[in-house]
Amino acid sequence: MGGRKKTLLGMAALMLLTAPLAAQSWAAEGPGTVELGSLANHYSAVTFDHAMHTGVAASCAECHHHTTGLAPIDPNCARCHKAGDKANRVACKSCHSDKRFSAEDLAKIEGNPLLHHKGKLGLKGAYHQKCLGCHTAMGGPTGCQDCHTRNDKGDAFFHSGKYTPAPKASAEHGGGH
Amino acid sequence: MNSLKSQGFAPVVSDLKKDGSEWTVKEKIMLGLSPKEYWAVQLRNPFNWVLWAIYAIGLPILVGRFIFGLGWVTHSSYDYPWGLFLGWGLFTMVPLSASGFMMGTTVELFGRKDFKSIERLGLLNGLLGYTFAVMFLQVDLGQPWRLIYPMFVSLGPAAVLFLVAWHVATYLTCQVAELVPAFSEWMGFPKAKKFIKSIVLGLTIAGIILSTLHQGALGALFTYAPGKVHPLWYSSPFQWLHFFVSAVFAGLSMLIVVSTLTKWFMRWRCDENYLNNLSKLTLGLAKGASMALITYLVIKIIGIAHDNNWAYLLTGWGAWFMFEMVVGVILPLIFYTMAVRNSNASLARFAAILAVFGIALNRLNTALIAFNWQLYREIPHWRELVIVFTVYATYIVVYRAVLARMPILYTWKEKK
Amino acid sequence: MKKLNRRSFLKGGLAGGAAIAAVGASKQAVAGTHNFGGYPDSMGVLVDLTKCVGCRTCEAACNKEQDLPEPDKAFDDPSVFEERREGGLPRRTTEKAYTVVQKYDVPGREHPLFRKVQCNHCNEPACLTSCFVNAYKKTPEGAVIYDKTVCVGCRTCMVACPFYIPAYSYSSAINPVVKKCIMCYDTRLKFGRPPACVEACPQEVMTFGKRKDLLKLAHQRISDKPDAYVDHVYGENEVGGTAWMYLSDVPFDKIGYDTHLGTQPIISYVKEFLGMVPMVLTIWPALFTGFHLLSNRKDALKNDDNKS
Repeated sequence: MGGRKKTLLGMAALMLLTAPLAAQSWAAEGPGTVELGSLANHYSAVTFDHAMHTGVAASCAECHHHTTGLAPIDPNCARCHKAGDKANRVACKSCHSDKRFSAEDLAKIEGNPLLHHKGKLGLKGAYHQKCLGCHTAMGGPTGCQDCHTRNDKGDAFFHSGKYTPAPKASAEHGGGH
Repeated sequence: MNSLKSQGFAPVVSDLKKDGSEWTVKEKIMLGLSPKEYWAVQLRNPFNWVLWAIYAIGLPILVGRFIFGLGWVTHSSYDYPWGLFLGWGLFTMVPLSASGFMMGTTVELFGRKDFKSIERLGLLNGLLGYTFAVMFLQVDLGQPWRLIYPMFVSLGPAAVLFLVAWHVATYLTCQVAELVPAFSEWMGFPKAKKFIKSIVLGLTIAGIILSTLHQGALGALFTYAPGKVHPLWYSSPFQWLHFFVSAVFAGLSMLIVVSTLTKWFMRWRCDENYLNNLSKLTLGLAKGASMALITYLVIKIIGIAHDNNWAYLLTGWGAWFMFEMVVGVILPLIFYTMAVRNSNASLARFAAILAVFGIALNRLNTALIAFNWQLYREIPHWRELVIVFTVYATYIVVYRAVLARMPILYTWKEKK
Repeated sequence: MKKLNRRSFLKGGLAGGAAIAAVGASKQAVAGTHNFGGYPDSMGVLVDLTKCVGCRTCEAACNKEQDLPEPDKAFDDPSVFEERREGGLPRRTTEKAYTVVQKYDVPGREHPLFRKVQCNHCNEPACLTSCFVNAYKKTPEGAVIYDKTVCVGCRTCMVACPFYIPAYSYSSAINPVVKKCIMCYDTRLKFGRPPACVEACPQEVMTFGKRKDLLKLAHQRISDKPDAYVDHVYGENEVGGTAWMYLSDVPFDKIGYDTHLGTQPIISYVKEFLGMVPMVLTIWPALFTGFHLLSNRKDALKNDDNKS
């Protein structure tokens, strides 16, 4: 776990460096906490500490791409949105659809030949890829239930918790090889 | 029975007893012995003791397969969907039964009447081999009661197995028809024999076509698995030819082996004509087999050259392949040739045993041993092995029972 | 044979030949078919392996959607990744699991790579072409489905599948059938909805859409981030193309993919034989009839002499 410790240290250092700047200029613009619950099904909603994360991130663009008006991090985004294009709404769900592969959404994408962002992630994918990607890189928590606790329905879905299958005694399980 | 005959017992050879009265069907089934004598003979035969032992263990397991499913008798492998039931029962038994169409072709088509005394043995070997290949298939199929589905319920005519199913079924009918004369003589229905005689050439030609295609199709089945069968046992363009040509010498060699067994163990049932001609005919079969063997050897080499698989010969798989080729093809080829040149039937018989072993090894290699060569080797479940022994024992029992009764190894004396 | 004159001979020969020709006629069509590139608007799934975190939510979703039996272990139990079947191989699809996630520890890669395995829904499926009861069907939507009511249980499809996907319910004595992923055709795909695993995946590892669009997207992703991917879309051309395709940052042969499958559909390896079938049916009767006439020439001459 040496690597993890090192990244944690690095994170702390980053926080110290950016803290004064953040407090003054842009951290105040964001909300304190956000309840991310529009997709909650097998898990409880996530109470996202936005203020804490603004303190950690180097720039709003780390998560918000170009929509907050800052220069995007990804050079592929910068090809068009070099200076940052400020959007009216910056919440994840404003752009990332919560029914990504529905027939309507697929038709919308196909019906617009000029659309560049054809492969834009859905809301669930956007959340998880952003959160988990950064948590993995920075050494943040990465377990499912580190962020949202699983409910009873979720336990049943995963055949876990009180729904865990009884261990099979016999070695012959319907064809192992 | 051999000893019984040396004591003066005369087996059934015509409709009439010595005293001029007719044999009843029951008497014919009892081989012309009284029931008491018949059962005494059965009990005395040590080979029967072995059979009973196999049945004592095998029958309950065979029944269990249909009660508890395939999962109970096999390893239920998803990676090796085919095991010994098909590897041995279908892919090995069918080429070993190619003797039927070979003998039909030789005698009826090419007019080699000198092979007449062994023709029926060849036909019977074919019929029984195919019948029991179907039995093995029925043990292996998940839902054997749906065997007729590819014929009448849901047809997949573009599949190789569809062709195998239809051709084996048609060919079985053909073979039954070809053996009707033997049955009709024994049972005393001369009309049936006459009818078959009138269509025998059609049957024979149908037999050649069907055999070419389904022997080849069994090989073509493996062309569905180009990455799974080791390249030395795989050839997309030639697989069907390899299987077909090897079936030719497999059938002839099996016929030599079986005729040898009859000469030893069922001598009482063979007539003079059969016994006197056997050595000569064995050499005739050996000649045919050696032609097929040299052809096979060459097309196998062409197969390797075509896909440029030479490098594999230097691997462990190559050594195994060379073993199969040397023991199962090259040695029999040499021995057959020497046997023909020196008129040495015993050497031909030895070559035949090697060739039969070689063909079994080739088919098991293709279906099981060199299959999934990049994964792991599947060792069959012991119950699978027991069932193979049980079904094969039944094949031997039926084979022996027919030979003992119908005019296969002897000529029926027609009523005047 | 002696009594057999030419007319009765021909009669017999023709009858036999006709019977067989009837059997084999339907195969003639097959020999001529050329490669089928797939339905133009069929759907597919692009799997970006670099995104998978191995949570196995897809497995749980599949189990629920397909009403499969209770698993041996919970779907959040990571110990399944260490399970080995015969030959030291990782878990594969079974009669109880139509999809499984495998874990690969790749030397030099910071985190393990997870690989989702399920039916790839080939454009020209080997299982379909090998089935002698026509149980399989490639739907215009892209799924390879099968009719279990006609399955005889010969298991040729399992032999033919180059990806080792179809499983068989060996445990059933009464009604054993082939079991494999059907891309949720009955419950979802038919109605334009993505398969359950795609929808359940938290990471959106899988992108559902028209196959032709997914191909563009896949190549777009590679060209956008050439360092993040190997330059290969697995499934684009393998065995004639598959509906499920994969992106990876590790060479595919290092993570259990067979990279020697070639670009021809499996049926193309069988076509040489299938093409030969009508030839044998046509040529053999004439050829062997000729042989017979030649080899019995002397008999025939003798008969003619007797008559005259």
